[in-house]
Amino acid sequence: MDSFITGLLALADPSLVVLLIAATLGGVIIGALPGLNATTGAALLLPFTITMEPVAAIAVLTAIYCSATFAGAITAILINTPGTSASATTCLDGFPLAQKGEAGRALGLAVVASTIGGVCSVIVLMLAAPLLARAAYSFAPPEYFALTLFGLSMLATIGGGSPIKNILAGCLGILVSTIGIDLMTGVERFTFDMSVLSDGIGFVPVMIGVFGISEMLVQISNSQEGLERIKLKAIKLPSKADYIKVWKTILRSTGIGTFIGILPAEGATVASMIGYNEAKRWSKTPEEFGKGAIEGIAGSEAANNSATGGAMVPTLALGIPGSPTAAVILAGLMVHGLRPGPTMFTEQSDFAFSIFWSMMFVNLLFLGVGLYGAKIFARVTLVPVQILWPCVFIFSVVGAYALDQSMMDVWVALGSGVLGYFMRRYGFSVVPLAIGLILGEILEQRFGQSMVMLKEQWWLLPTRPLTLFFLVLTFLALFGKPIWNRIKQLRT
Amino acid sequence: MDSDLKQSIRGATLETWLVPLVILIFCGFTYWLTTEFARMPPILKRGIQPSDFPQLLIALMVGLTALIAWKDPIRVSERIHNPTLMAFGMIGAFVLLVQFDFFFALTVSCLGLTLLWKKRNWYTFLIVGFLVPIGVFFLFDQVFEVRFPRGFLTNLWYG
Repeated sequence: MDSFITGLLALADPSLVVLLIAATLGGVIIGALPGLNATTGAALLLPFTITMEPVAAIAVLTAIYCSATFAGAITAILINTPGTSASATTCLDGFPLAQKGEAGRALGLAVVASTIGGVCSVIVLMLAAPLLARAAYSFAPPEYFALTLFGLSMLATIGGGSPIKNILAGCLGILVSTIGIDLMTGVERFTFDMSVLSDGIGFVPVMIGVFGISEMLVQISNSQEGLERIKLKAIKLPSKADYIKVWKTILRSTGIGTFIGILPAEGATVASMIGYNEAKRWSKTPEEFGKGAIEGIAGSEAANNSATGGAMVPTLALGIPGSPTAAVILAGLMVHGLRPGPTMFTEQSDFAFSIFWSMMFVNLLFLGVGLYGAKIFARVTLVPVQILWPCVFIFSVVGAYALDQSMMDVWVALGSGVLGYFMRRYGFSVVPLAIGLILGEILEQRFGQSMVMLKEQWWLLPTRPLTLFFLVLTFLALFGKPIWNRIKQLRT
Repeated sequence: MDSDLKQSIRGATLETWLVPLVILIFCGFTYWLTTEFARMPPILKRGIQPSDFPQLLIALMVGLTALIAWKDPIRVSERIHNPTLMAFGMIGAFVLLVQFDFFFALTVSCLGLTLLWKKRNWYTFLIVGFLVPIGVFFLFDQVFEVRFPRGFLTNLWYG
């Protein structure tokens, strides 16, 4: 209890508060720029935190983490280009809503859902970190494999359109993820002896291409139809009825996101995908998803932001990062001579609670920044298209290049843009391609590890209760609806 | 029936079969590539061979493509508009111009893209062709320390 209060008192230091405000604003800018994400931002800032006090240094890094994760939604909603991979699913309904002239409503919901998700996950982090960490570590590779498979099961229903085409696009994404050196065996695959392909194809350039550049190509087609947006409603924030409609979705996604965040390496991206899919599954109007459903935005954003708190559980309690950004924060802890692990909650509990309270403060801070900024950000949709889309092209190309300062990423983004355009033209959603690419590597690794663990006896997978649970969920997600429809047909 | 509609119906019929065919050719080529992967001896293969997972995916893709051709054929309602074709041309021009200067290629391609929309005026050209590229350059160069590839224009800054 002492640590709880001592941690809160750390926020009485005005210099820490100023630092957190600056880091939050910086994180919002970084998250909103395609190609730069929370990990890049935290990594860029890490050298500057060395001279700070440990509490200030780690608080600043976590502020970047939370605010950049939220800010990825801004460009996802406004220009269909997710600022971070965790916001890919926010595009699905955020952009259509902005296209209807309701960008402010979409942004407002994203802010509120992100804040609730973030705050709840910090509360969970404070109350149950050691307990939750213990539960998460009963997961072995087969359980992770089954969980990832469950995450992928949403491919069939995501993005609207034909489930068969969605799964095919997802398979293509997973296939692209196999490019590069196979981490299990060290064998090069699909590299054509080009060293630049050894590390594989990064998912950020692909996402910039399939979402941003392909959208620009689609918009150019529409320019002939004289597309006009409803301008008056663009900066209007969500109504009370909107919040009433989505509160259950926000709470559900917060739970999902916090749990997924706790699992090592799963992170905000997987959380947002599962959060979105569950929002659709539980919705009374699933047919609205992909056309601007507010539950879709809330489901995705609450889940990805709640994963930030969850990801800090294994990082602080066991010294195992819960996400790539948490890995940078872990490095920050080590730079300051702090040893993350179970002792963090006994020997350094004041420090741990200072970080928790800082995260809470940042989550509340970007509620203000986001809601006030939503009206300003929403004005982007009022920028004339002949200025907006060439600017999107510049940011897409430079964003793709900035990631690793590699022209290969620029070519990948442009190629993905053209591929994305043709996929849309022929009725394939580009979202499963992006998701397949993100989860493909994890899926293959976990499958390989499971095979090693089970001595190549794959049929033993369902003998593990948790694995069986996730496999059954996957089966139901893919075939539950057709089977149920068939049963109903037979009855009538 | 006007010529546009006739052409789009012809195109749709062609693309209905052409798209699955292209996917199948892609799958065939990729499968052949997987047969070229090094194979690990049993003691080192760590569960599965490097080619197993991609081959499993390719087999699934072939099955799904057949299902698409049978159950969910490709339908295209309209032909590709001229501005879109010209935008592809702009992307091609960008790829060529990058050989001279990344910044120059960005500026020219963006000006070209602006021309594809109907409204054309001097302030649009000024914003898109001058202010935004320079702003983006300095934002990434000075704030995020991202160095642009060198070329005849960027060398003026980098020296």
